[in-house]
Formats: sequence, C-alpha cells, structure tokens
Amino acid sequence: MKPSMHSPSINRSRIPMRASTCLFAIATAMFSWLLFTPICMANGEDEFFESRVRPLLEKHCLECHGTGKQEGGLRLDSRDGWMRGGDQGDAIVAFEPEKSLLLKAVRHDEPDLRMPPDAQKLTAAEIADLETWIKRGASDPRRESADQKSERLNLDAADTFWSFRPLSKVAPPRDDDVRWSRTPLDTFIYARLKQQGLSPVGDADRRTLIRRATFDLTGLPPTVDEIDAFVQDESANAFELLVERLLESPAYGERWGRHWLDVARYADTAGDGADYPVREAGKYRDWVIDAFNRDQPFDQFVREQIAGDIIALQEPAEKYADRVTATGFLAIGKRYGYKASPDYQYLDFADVIDSLGRSLLGLSLGCARCHDHKYDPISAADYYALYGILESTQWAFPGGEEQKRPAHFPPLIPPSEVAKREQSKAERLARVDAEIAKLKRLRSDLDPALHAGGVDLAFESQQAGKPPGKPWFSAGPIEVTADAQSPFHHVHPPGKLGIRIGSGKPNDGLRYVFENGLQASEGTRMHFTIDFRPVDSSTETGAFRFFLGRGVVESLAVECSVTSTEFAIRSGGNWEVIRKLTPGTWYTLRLTIDPTAKTYSGLIGTPDDLTHFQDKQTGPNWDGVINCFICDAIGHVSGPACARDLDNFGLRETPFGTPDSEPVVPRTAGPELQQRMATLDAEIDTLTKQRQSIASESIYPVAYGVTEGTPKNSCIQLRGEPHRLSDEVPRRNLEVLGGELVPADSGSGRLELANWITRPTNPLTPRVFVNRVWQWHFGEGIVASSSDFGSRGVPPSHPELLDWLAGQFIDSGWSVKSLHRLIMNSRTYQMASVDDAMNLATDPSNRLHWRYSRHALDAESIRDSMLAISGKLDRTAPDLHPFPDVETWAFTIHKPFHAVYNSNHRSVYLMVQRNRRHPFLALFDAADPNQSVAARQPTTTPTQSLFLMNAPFVHESAAGFASRITARPGDDDARVRWAFETAQGRVPDAVIVRDAASFVSNYRARIAGKDAAAEPNHEAWSALARVLLTSNAFLYVD
Amino acid sequence: MDRSLSTRRQFLSRASGGFGAIALAGLCNDLHAETDNPLAARGGHHAAKADRVIFLYSTGGTSHIDTFNHRPRLTTDHGKSITASRWLNKSGEYTRFLIKPRYAFKQYGESGAWVSDLFPHLGTVIDDVCILNAMHCESDGHDKATLAAHTGSAQFARPSVGSWVSYGLGTVNQNLPSFMVLAPAAPYAGAQTWGSDFLPACHQGTHVVPGAEPLPNIQPRNVDIELQQMELDLRDRLNESHLRQRAADRALDARIRSFETAFGMQREAPEAFDLSGETDETLQLYGLTRGATSGFGWQCLVARRLAERGVRFLELIDVGSSGNWDSHGNMADHERLAKAIDQPIAGLLTDLKRRGMLDSTLVVWTTEFGRTPFHKQADHAGREHHNLCFSSWMAGGGVKGGIVHGQSDEYGILTAEDAVHTHDLHATMLHLLGIDHERLTFRHAGRDFRLTDIHGNVVQQIIA
Repeated sequence: MKPSMHSPSINRSRIPMRASTCLFAIATAMFSWLLFTPICMANGEDEFFESRVRPLLEKHCLECHGTGKQEGGLRLDSRDGWMRGGDQGDAIVAFEPEKSLLLKAVRHDEPDLRMPPDAQKLTAAEIADLETWIKRGASDPRRESADQKSERLNLDAADTFWSFRPLSKVAPPRDDDVRWSRTPLDTFIYARLKQQGLSPVGDADRRTLIRRATFDLTGLPPTVDEIDAFVQDESANAFELLVERLLESPAYGERWGRHWLDVARYADTAGDGADYPVREAGKYRDWVIDAFNRDQPFDQFVREQIAGDIIALQEPAEKYADRVTATGFLAIGKRYGYKASPDYQYLDFADVIDSLGRSLLGLSLGCARCHDHKYDPISAADYYALYGILESTQWAFPGGEEQKRPAHFPPLIPPSEVAKREQSKAERLARVDAEIAKLKRLRSDLDPALHAGGVDLAFESQQAGKPPGKPWFSAGPIEVTADAQSPFHHVHPPGKLGIRIGSGKPNDGLRYVFENGLQASEGTRMHFTIDFRPVDSSTETGAFRFFLGRGVVESLAVECSVTSTEFAIRSGGNWEVIRKLTPGTWYTLRLTIDPTAKTYSGLIGTPDDLTHFQDKQTGPNWDGVINCFICDAIGHVSGPACARDLDNFGLRETPFGTPDSEPVVPRTAGPELQQRMATLDAEIDTLTKQRQSIASESIYPVAYGVTEGTPKNSCIQLRGEPHRLSDEVPRRNLEVLGGELVPADSGSGRLELANWITRPTNPLTPRVFVNRVWQWHFGEGIVASSSDFGSRGVPPSHPELLDWLAGQFIDSGWSVKSLHRLIMNSRTYQMASVDDAMNLATDPSNRLHWRYSRHALDAESIRDSMLAISGKLDRTAPDLHPFPDVETWAFTIHKPFHAVYNSNHRSVYLMVQRNRRHPFLALFDAADPNQSVAARQPTTTPTQSLFLMNAPFVHESAAGFASRITARPGDDDARVRWAFETAQGRVPDAVIVRDAASFVSNYRARIAGKDAAAEPNHEAWSALARVLLTSNAFLYVD
Repeated sequence: MDRSLSTRRQFLSRASGGFGAIALAGLCNDLHAETDNPLAARGGHHAAKADRVIFLYSTGGTSHIDTFNHRPRLTTDHGKSITASRWLNKSGEYTRFLIKPRYAFKQYGESGAWVSDLFPHLGTVIDDVCILNAMHCESDGHDKATLAAHTGSAQFARPSVGSWVSYGLGTVNQNLPSFMVLAPAAPYAGAQTWGSDFLPACHQGTHVVPGAEPLPNIQPRNVDIELQQMELDLRDRLNESHLRQRAADRALDARIRSFETAFGMQREAPEAFDLSGETDETLQLYGLTRGATSGFGWQCLVARRLAERGVRFLELIDVGSSGNWDSHGNMADHERLAKAIDQPIAGLLTDLKRRGMLDSTLVVWTTEFGRTPFHKQADHAGREHHNLCFSSWMAGGGVKGGIVHGQSDEYGILTAEDAVHTHDLHATMLHLLGIDHERLTFRHAGRDFRLTDIHGNVVQQIIA
C-alpha cells in the first residue's frame, strides 16, 4: 500500500522570533561571540585552554554541569553547551569576565551563587586562569558531540514523526487467503496478526456479545429480556441493530460522557486548599452527556469547549447557553487561588495548558513551562504563547479562602440581554434607593431626636475625656469635652459636650460619614452648619480645614480653611480669605449649596458680626454627593494647625436657623408624630427588604466557564517562576502546528486556537481522539500512551489503521457514533476473550488483537449495575447537588468543604470532590480529578473486597435483588437461573446451579434455626445475591 | 497451575505470620520485577538499615525555636530589631523584632541535646534521637508545604512518600495494607498527602480514622461468621469455575486472593486495633487510659502494633488541618499541642526499643515549616510561618542517636551549616530502607518520575 497525502501538509511558517524568544538566555552571549570572536583561534589559546582551563572545569564543574547533570540548566562540557547559557543567564561572556556569571560564582561574589557548592573554593590561581581565559576570548575547542545533544525531536524532524505527519489516506490491506475480515477495519488487524504468526480466536457467543456491548455503550448490564431477544434474533444484522439501539439510549451519553470527563479532569469542587464547591460544574457535565447523545460532531464539540462563548455570539440565541456552558472544559481544572486575583493564575494556567495538550493533542505541553520541552518540539515560547491567550481570558472564580463568593461566572444569555437585565435591575434598585432616601429624610426631619441630622451628630452621646467613638473616626490628639460646648443654640438645643482637636499631624483630625448622605437633585439645596473656636497660638499658625463631599476626599464639594486669625474658603481652584478671626472666639458657619448651579453661599461670624459670601464655585469635579465631613490640618496655610473646638454640626436639605434667630427648644414627639414616624419606619423597613431581594436576585443563569478578557501577550517565565520574566511572546499557535499569530484585531485568541486545533490539517486532534475511542472500546489504544503522542510516547501498534480510522472519522463529519459502528461491527470487536496458548506466548498482552481483552467493570459500572439489578436505579438526571447555600460559604484551608451526597442516580452524577475523593469512587479507581486522566489504572485490593463483602450499599443492593428474585415464579432452581442471568448474563452449568440452590436452602435452614426474627428466605436469597454481585463473572466483562 | 484453595490459604497463613514473617522480605532484588502481586515484599537496591517507617507529622508548623533549636541569643536580644528577608509569603526587606522563645530549654541525656520544656518526655529518650536543626523547604503556605513534605512537590499531586516505599519494597503481611495512615482528620491538601497518584492504586495510604470503627467495612455484617464463610466458599467455587475457562488471567486470580485477604483482615486488623491485651504499664507509657479509641497515644500504640504485624509505612497525623500548631495568635497554644504528643512519642520510642524493634524501625517526626523567630510587633505573642529554617528529627532505623545535625544562625532565621531540605530528608529515608532515591522511578506521562524529582542528597553524616 502506498500512502498518499490525505490532506495538505501543515503550513508551518517558521517564525523569525523563535530565535530571540527561545534562546533568551544566551542572546547576549551569542551577540558578543559573533562580534568579537576571531575566526581563527591562535594555537596558543587552545594550549592555554587545554593546560589550564579544561582540567579545572573537569575537576570542579562537570560533575554537575556535564553529561549526567545540568544543574541550573547549564552545561560546561562543550562550547555549544555554555553558549546556550543557564537559567540565570550567561555563564561565560567571551572577553567580558565581569559579565560572566561563572566568574562571579567561583569568586563567591554573590551569596546566592557560590560555586562549587558545599566544596572547596577554587584557588586564587585557578580563578585567575579562568579570568584570563575569558578575557582572551574563551577559546574552547570542545564541540557538542552527538550524545551531548539533547534527545529532543526538533521541528524539522517533527515533519516526519509519525504523530505530526499529515494523515495519510490508507487503503485497507487485502485479506484474500482466509477471508476472516468482515469490515475494512478487520483487514488491518488481520494483516498484522498474520505477519506475527498469530491467529484470531473464534467469535464470541451472543450472550457474551450483548453483555460486552451493553456495558461498553451504556455502562449497565443487559436485562434478561434484552438477552433473550438478542439471542433469538435470527436476522443477519442482529448485532448492528443492537448497537443502534444502545447508541439511541440516553444511558449511552452517561457512559461515554463520563469517558470524556476523565480526560477533562471533571470535578464538582475547585481543588484549592478549601476545595470550594462549584454549583454550576454539573451544567458542563450535563452538556457533555448531551453532546454525546446527540452525536455532536467532535470538531465542533472541541471548538465549543475552547471558545464556546465567542462562537455563541455568532449562533442563534437558543444555542447561546449551551455554547457558553461548554467552556467549562477550560474552567473546570484544579484551582490554586485564594481570591479572584492573578496571584496564583500561573498554576491554574499550568493545569489548563497541560490538560489542553494532553486531552486534545496528546502533547505534554506542561513540560515547556520551565524550559523548552526536553523531547518534543514544544518550546517555552509555545507555552507562553498559549499562556497569553489564557491571560487574555476572563476566568470564573469559584470562591476561595480570601474571597468566599464566586465571581465572573459567564452569563448564559447574550451580552445585549445581560445589559438590558442589568440596567433594568439597576433602575429598579435606584428607584427603591431614591424612595428609601426620601422616606429617611422625611423621618429625620420629623424626629425630634434627630434634629439637624441627629443630636449634634451623636456628640452628646460621646464620653467626655476620650476621643469620639463610632460613628466618628478620629486620629491624633483629640477628645470630647465639656469645655468645647458652643455658646450658640440656633441649630441644636443647649448641649454639654463639644470636641477639642489638638494640634497634630496634617492628616490627624476628625471624620464623620453620614448614613443618609445627600445627593444632588433638581431644585433642592444642601445645608451645612458648624460652630468652631480656633485656639490662640503663636507657634501653630497653620490652617485646619473642613472638607465636605463624597468619601474620604474622593469628590470635593466645599472646603473651608481656618487659622486662628482668618477664615478662607475654596472657590473653584482658589483660596479666598473671607474674614479675619479673633483667636479664642466661637464662630458659627452656615453653608447653602446649590448642586445644580454648582455654587454655594454662606455666612460666618458671631450673631452680631456676620460676614456673608455668595456665588462661590463648588469643587470643579464634584459628583453631587455629600456623605462625608472631615476636619484635618491640610488647609490654605501650611505648618502645624492651631487647636480648635468644634460643635453643633448639621447637614440636611432644609435650611437651618440663622445665628440671630431664637434658640432651638427641645421638642418631644406627641402620639400623632410617633404614629407617623412608626408608619415611616415600617415603610422604610419594607422597602429595605425589597431592596435586598432585588439586589440578591440572580437575573440570569450562569456557567462555570470563561469569557473574553483584555487581550495581552505574556512574557516567558524563567524556570516557570512568575516573577522571573523574560521576553514577551506574541499569542499564537504552537509552532509545530503552524505558529500563526493571533490577529491584532482579534480577542484573546481562543477562537483562533479552537480552529487551529480542529482544522483538518492538524493530524493530532483526530488521531488522538479516534485512539481514545479505540482505547475505551478495547482497554488499550492503538497508541498505548493515549495522552502522549510525543517522542516519549508509545508508537502505534497499527499506524495505518490509526490513520484510516482518523480519515473515516473526518469523512463521517467527525461523528462519534459512526466511529462506534465502525469499530463494534468489526469482527475484531466481536471476538471471544478466550485463551490461546500459542498466541499468549507471542503476544501475552493482546496488543495485536488476537482476542477481545477481558476487563474489570469500572467503579461507575459496578455501582450502577448493582443499583440497576436491585431495582433501585433512578434513571433520571438529578438536579444540582445539594451544596450549602452560597451565602453561608466560609470554607478555609483549615475548614475545607467536604461532603458525600448519597443518591440512587447513575454514578456519573455523583458529586466528585477534588481534595477528598468520594470514598467509593476512590476505592474503585475512578479518575482522579486533579489531572487529565488518559486511562484509569484498575487495581485489585483487599479494601475493595472488604467493601464488596461488608459495605451497607452492597448489602442493600443485594436485598433489593433478593426481593426481585423471590418475586419470580418457579422453584429455587428456576430462580437461581434467573438470578445468574440477571447478574452475570448467563446461566452456568447444572452443577453450579445445583450448588447455588443448595447454598440457598442450607443458608435458609441455618438462619431459621438460629434467629426467629429473621426472614430466612429473604436473607438466604440476599446472601446468594451478594455472591453473584461480587464474583468475577459479574465484576469482569468478557 | 495449582489453584486449589488450600494452596492459597497456605500462602496467606504464611504471609500473615506476624512479626516473625518479616524474615521473608528481601527475596527479590529487582524493584521493578513483574510479579503477580505488586505488594509482594522485596528487597531494595542495597542492604537496608530499616525495614519500616513510622512517620509522625505535626500539622500547622511547629516552632523550631520553641522546641528543638536552642537559640540563647534570641532571649538576650529579645525586642531588638533585625532585617528579615521574608514575611508572610513575600520576599523583601522587613524590619522585625526578635521574639524570645516562650519555653525554657534544658539539656537531656548523655548527649546533652537541648530540648525545650514542651517535650520533657521526649527529652528522656533523646539519646536515641537525631535532631535536624537546619531543615528548610520552598513554601510557607500550609497546603503547598504539606504536599512538599509528603510528595516532594509543592504544586502538583504526586505519589506520597509512603506510596513510593510501598511501590519499592512491597509489604510483608498481605493481610494488612502496606501503607496506613492514622489520622483523626486530613492535613492541609487532604488525601493527596497519602495518595498514590500515578503509582498503582494499591500503594495508596489506607486512611484509618481513630474511633470506634477505624477501618470501614471491616466488620462482617453477618454476626454468624460461618454464614459469611459459606458465602466466601460459594463465591470461591463460582470464581474457580469461571477461572477454569480463563486460566491465564492473573487479575481474576488476584481478585479471588483479595477476598481471602479481606477475610483475613476482618480477623487480623481488628485484632491489631484492639488494645485490650496491652498491659496497664504499656498504656501508661503512651499516656493512654484504658478504653480510649483516639488521641495521639492511641495512634502511636496502634502504630506499634501494626508495625509488629508487618505494615511497611505508617503515617501518624497529629491533629489535622484545624486547631493545630499554627500559632499565629499565641504561642501558648503550643503547650496544649505538645502535651498531646510528647508522652505518646516518647512512649513509642521506648516501647519500640525494649521490644528490639527500634533498630529496624525508622521513626521520623516533621512538620511543614517552623515559625518566625521575629514579629512585626515587639511583644507579639504569636509567630508566623517560617520555611527558611525549621526542625525535624529521626530516630531508630539506622540513624545515629543522640546527635544534633545542622545549625541555624544564632537566631534560627536561616540555616547555617548542614542544611537539610525536604528532598534530602526523603532521600535519606529511602536510603535507610535500602532504596537509592535516584533509581526508584516510575514511568508516567513520558518520563521517569522520582520522589525527589531531580533533587535530594542522602544525609550520610547521620547514618549509624
């Protein structure tokens, strides 16, 4: 057979930047070498090297920087070796001893870099020789020998390496001699068998076939009726029809979706130290199950998992949610962060890049995180090109120790709809907020206790002799004191306490945040008042100030500045002195602000000496909110500010009395007023609750996935350490797959990446996937290392078959169900699993398929089958896991999330926890969700057997099975036969049936004699049921 | 091929022969030999000094300068400021105040090793202990450092040291798991700390939670053991008949055997966990009251009993991921924690020694990191995480007793002499078990993995 090109060769545009990005460590060394190294070295230089330098390198350095070890990535056993430099940079820069790290290291110049470590320092003479050698150009005749060169598959060699080679269109070999083959697939198998002198065993019988196919496609055993129907089906295509029926069963997606979830490292928790639950993870799981059931073309299946959120924007709206959910593939990996910050994202990304490589391309991309891949054509630049794509992506944050609530989960509705709903929510909130604010103002105006915004803003309730407590904030020398009581009573009734602020640092002082701040609205005014007294001082001549505005000087409305002798205000950008003051005198200040006109007016003085000012400009950038008052010492005159007394604050929308008006008399609330206030309180309460419920409303469903972030390129991280950055790498495809750049006007590059991975010219994706499907059918792939198609992987046992399958797969429109038909309808799949001494001697592991390989049921199949046989299996898909309410989440690494939820649903729906494995799934070797799992490693342990012997689940299942058995008509023998057929798919010979029946009667008799309360019959059948459900004919599939 | 039940039972009874059966170990020198049973006992690369390990792990980060690293200058210079190079996970230059140890130190034994008042009982057996006072590791985050201490990797799930030992040497008693973890609660990073990861799953640690039912499913649900025996026999007959058609399948045989083992475990494991046969004197040695089914004394005594029965690697977790040695707020908390383990550990060492088991049992005590000898506030009662220098110790199993290896600087801030990295600790443990840490490898995902990755040096100076 002559392979012909199935598809055009990969367009591998070699990228010039490769040299500069991958060889970052040696760029300067190379540069200086090229510039300054004489073309021809004098013999004297070589002599010097041979006599002085080579011996000392060999004595002190090569043990760790030679063939065996390359500590710090550095080799000193050839010129080529040291010219590449090490992780820390250039060890030797010809002609430049001072730039050569080697010299610094042997001199012990730097504490962290002393060479040789833990050994005698080089002698002064040796160091001098090294210096001389470098100064004279570091002549080194040693060239890299073949064995010193890395075993790395380079890009050129990759062109012809079996996995990177384009798919070849292969014609199936002919099978003329015995006509064993039934399908083209068989001819590939048969040709290899013949070549090795192996002969295929006979076909499996009908019972074996239906049990094999049913477990294979659905993870469940066939029922007795199904077995009977198939055994009696005389039609030539009976098995094909069986396969079709099984492919149509919803159980198919549950079984094959689970295979994909192994690869996709699926879990329901985040895997950070506190192992936060992820409520939306199950949506991705369900999407995978559904994708298999509707036979979604695999290329589209992959594209959506990488870029579903972007594809969704181009698709009909009804597919939007599915597309976004698919990106769970990226988000679902193990997380390392404690909060939604980039701190630990390099670890998250290490997982994503590695999983992406292994699952889809069969490449261990993760190895290129710290250095170029040792064996495969993947550079560190490739790694950080993909890293940039991930860094340009917004990731759902599942919750973590420091930020305990999920964030950035992508909505399952289009952005325009999100914006609409969010705007509508914001508007509803704003309406309620405005209503609440109005009612609160109304109430505070009515409440005698809150005159002018509270009894002097809660001053009167403060404790004398101490700094003011909540709701005030203070810093520096400050105390509440009766001495600071203002003499004026036109705003507040006479009180007992004021506040004295000493002369402190500029930022010292007093702050008050108004619970009900004022917000500009058309036609309203804002009124503020304060009484103050500057203390006379000859030394403290600086100014203190009053700030009014939003937040802690976030948005300035009005500023006043006061020294002991003058009062100034800020109008627009300038300070304007309004009047002189006499130290030690109480003054009152009143401001009226017109937020619409952005002007203010006011008066300052004593009742009989008032100065008015008008049409002053508020802060030019003021946003119309006043919710904060500050008195500190940053005013119009620098230097220490004088001490001052403050009293009688007020802020509201109605004017205050003037200094010359009558003293305010304390009011009391009569019954009517009290009633009105109570009504207002109730209304406010109702509205506040309404606000909370609006605020916590989820106005759209979300997924655990990704969305587009801000496009940016990433830098190479030396040794994979995020703080040691090297050159920036543009976002692009892997070089070995073409290396195309992400276009500048594109987004993160995920859409491009999705297309690069699934385009027909990339041979890896179809090869890797058809091989997985083969593995899931037969137990082992044509390529045994199903997630490693690199040079350290295992080469395919049937390379032509692999390419033929991949070709058929693509031609079928990437239909996975077609691939099942192709495989299962072959004679290869339908062989018996019997021994054959000759074949066993040549091919004991059945690598070449001379029989079907028997295999153990996996964890899910054991559990699901026991449930099914017991009659308890719930075949519906469950709701989301019963996680604790998100509002209660407080998991930490000290108190991590942990739960095991019992259910009778299929095992694919069990809650899969990352850090504490589900006890049953872990015991029976289900996939470890901490990484992409290529193949499960079944084990046989006594602890599993203890479970099978004693676990309540097994006993309950057996009891359920026993009830079904005893409900059967007929004698014990007939029941025994039915029980065997139900549990194991076949009835053993009469001796065994007899044995089992007498076991039941003996067991029954023994119990009946001992325990009056027991139900001997049911117990005896339960015992038989346990034996049937835990013996090898149940636990293994032929 | 003789597959009769009697042959298997003979095999099992031989393997379950208790302590004396350990002589069977070391039959096979090739660690990677294909055997029917991945847990079959086999010898290492060189002659072993230790046959088994009891690994004591204090979670949270035990302060080195309040336990085993006596730094008198810390007391004399208490309150003085220094420049620290690391604080709360970040490198930099920080002015911090030295804080004196909260506990006084005394010299113990003939060796005169310094031990603080937190461990008076341990002091009495200090001549059997080799203190490591210049330990260091990479991370000062709990989960990462815990993973590193167990698997050699701070970032990724990798096989635990116990799994590597089980993979390398198998185990003597097939009626008990090779690697058992006695832990009231998981440490940081959860069950990953005893996971086998890519190694075959039979090497994973079997977690035993102290309490009334330490091994799940160990209790036969049928009170009448003969009824269970009937089931076992019928299952055997069915399996034998099934196997007759499939004689070449070793997995089927292994499964049949595992039921026998499990059946044996039902008998042998509860017995190993049953302390009723221990004398009052022994219970007192471990600080245990009769009838107790939890506490570190219980863990230590059960560990001795399991070690006697041939379990290869035992890990004892002290406390777990909460309420542990993580004394940020107040170092006074160390007192309660030390009290809970001091006497049990001293009891374990004493008991092993008098039973002639200490020479062949390597006991290791460690923690994820130490605690800062300094603090931001001059009189702060707590200490923060400190991975640049901390203390561990080893005893028995071919380790020199009564020595202190490794020196820190005068304040216990940095290692000064004979620093021992976690990788070195692992390399040394494997070495004492007869394993060359550079040669115990497993091919996974295209490369050969090691417990020590590309690091690790055997600390030859402490080997007797």
